[in-house]
Amino acid sequence: MGEHDIQTRFQELPAAVREKVDTVLTDAKIAVKLKIAEILADPAEHAEHAVTTAGRVGAKSGEVSELTAIMPLKPNGAERLRKFFTLVGGNLAGAGQVGTLHNMRFVFLDNDTKLLFATAYDGEWDPYIDDFATKIPEFMDYLFGNVEGWPGITSPAVKDFITQHQIPAEAWFVSHPNITVAEANRLKRQDAAVQTFVDALN
Amino acid sequence: MELFRRRTRRPTLDLDDIQATVLRARPEPYFGTHAIIEITDQAAGRQLLRRLAPLVSSAARWDEPRSSWMALAISYAGLVALGVPQDSLESFPANFRAGMAARADRLRDTGPNAPQHWEAPWGSGRAHLAVSVYADNEDDWRGTMAGYERQLQDLAGVRLLSHQDFGATGFNVFGYRDGFSQPVVEGSGAEPLPGDGRPIKAGEFVLGYPSETGQPLPMPTPDVLGRNGTYVVFRKYHSHVATFNRYLRDNASTEEDRELLAAKLVGRWRSGAPLALTPEQDDPAVGADPRRINDFDYTDDPRGLRTPLGSHIRRMNPRSTKLETLSDVNIRRIIRRSTSFGEPVVPTVLTADGADRGLDFIALGARAIDNVEFLQSEWVNSGNFVGLGKEKDPMISLQDKGAYFTVPGSPPRRVHGIQSFNTLRGGEYLFMPSLSAIHWLAG
Ligand code: HEM
Repeated sequence: MGEHDIQTRFQELPAAVREKVDTVLTDAKIAVKLKIAEILADPAEHAEHAVTTAGRVGAKSGEVSELTAIMPLKPNGAERLRKFFTLVGGNLAGAGQVGTLHNMRFVFLDNDTKLLFATAYDGEWDPYIDDFATKIPEFMDYLFGNVEGWPGITSPAVKDFITQHQIPAEAWFVSHPNITVAEANRLKRQDAAVQTFVDALN
Repeated sequence: MELFRRRTRRPTLDLDDIQATVLRARPEPYFGTHAIIEITDQAAGRQLLRRLAPLVSSAARWDEPRSSWMALAISYAGLVALGVPQDSLESFPANFRAGMAARADRLRDTGPNAPQHWEAPWGSGRAHLAVSVYADNEDDWRGTMAGYERQLQDLAGVRLLSHQDFGATGFNVFGYRDGFSQPVVEGSGAEPLPGDGRPIKAGEFVLGYPSETGQPLPMPTPDVLGRNGTYVVFRKYHSHVATFNRYLRDNASTEEDRELLAAKLVGRWRSGAPLALTPEQDDPAVGADPRRINDFDYTDDPRGLRTPLGSHIRRMNPRSTKLETLSDVNIRRIIRRSTSFGEPVVPTVLTADGADRGLDFIALGARAIDNVEFLQSEWVNSGNFVGLGKEKDPMISLQDKGAYFTVPGSPPRRVHGIQSFNTLRGGEYLFMPSLSAIHWLAG
């Protein structure tokens, strides 16, 4: 598409959107402006991916929230954690039992002095901390006990501790914002049933 | 029905210091009143506590019938009005301090349930003291009420904001037997009845004892204030029984089918008999038998063919249901002391008469506030935890346009047109102090 066509398409978009894009993105190329203006002008697409807040901190798109935290590690904390991660080959399969975790990652920063913990999960984490405290307390303390100041999963201070280290994302995109882990499991079961049915037909 | 459990073990809890309502089952029939009081003068508020203290009953011999008893609970604003020291105030949990109206977001109290539509005095910050009288007969109810009213009468600086009488036979205004399923509190000495499950650690219901974590839950300070106390969640619901009846009428053509659908929504027939035990038709004998009414779990019904996964009682206490999300059902139990008000409506009535009727939902427990917030957001206004997506509790959620209820089966049946059958009219988070804490608060 030539510069001229891009300009024409841009001019066809609603004036209010064009104005907003023009004033904020003064230094962007017109191709960038067009792409962004087109997304902003599509109410359905935009609404499906609307970003709200997840409980106290963090961004949420549909049902899926993000949690990003950077926490100082105790001396040898990274070493202990790395031993465990190496033992399992970086595979945290057991976490599936939580039923709300889409993904999570553990990254060591600044010469193994800090831990970056990032996850995408359904809903809000805050209500489930109490369940972690009675269902998987040893595991939570084993992992996060390497963090400086970790109060323990059963401590009343634990929610504040996590919140204090949480850094809210400035932007957040989820491809299927309304498909929770439970919903994905249901769709998988449903698909398996459909596949069996189709196989039986043939 | 005889609701009293027997005391078969020696209690290890400090029953003399714990308020009666924590352990004492509501009689059938029952009568009573909830009074809400504002404290406009600190000294008068303390004076009132001094006067009421001897009237507040303890949980001693909770297993013996008693004609009437009184309970007292205080909101955060009430503790402030009583002049409780700042460091004590700050030792209470954040959601209690914020109050129910401020937690509307977490409670999913939006739209018609939002605090701006509540009745006075709810949400005004002036509901300081809640005094409840429960009785098993009208005379003793009136007698106990008169005793309490005398204490209130000549005190300037405290003001009665609302006085709500309640009473029922044990059936709520929809016609269901209600209020009998309760957790067994470890250390109370109660004999578990068949289906009650294991006793739950006392610290889940009374502050100062080990909870399900093995440790006591956080408790306000000083010790005399927190120990043997608990939290109360009070939520006043208005019930739209005619709307409920119309939903049944619109979706089932015979009385038999209507009653089956009614049972599928709750998980129990109106008699109280659970679908788990009598899936085809009601069996009032089971509903009237405390040894059978709860004698089930959901192990042999994973798909909800008998008791729908989305029915009210299966959501509120999933028992052995395999949940989609990691949850500990033993920390989500609440003691319910709800009371029914107004005239019940029979199933044939299809138009609303505008009369006041409903349920004062009352939950007690050391985690009662956390739990009602958890239940409202995770188990009432969502279906995700049992793989039901956005489907909500059929009895107590705020239903969206186009909402439906799924009756599992082959094929499952989607019953469209479900409405919000109960609207929230107000409520508050309260602290139910021990008897010694009442004296401490009275100064
Ligand atoms: C007007 C509102 C409500 C109505 C009409 C209602 C109705 C009922 C009925 C008929 C039962 C079965 C009787 C029993 O097991 O004792 C029940 C049980 C129960 N309800 Fe409700 N309820 C209402 C509000 C609530 C609320 C707001 C909650 C919690 C947030 C709740 C939690 C429970 C629990 C925990 C049970 C016991 C389930 C079990 O142990 O199997 N209810 N309710």
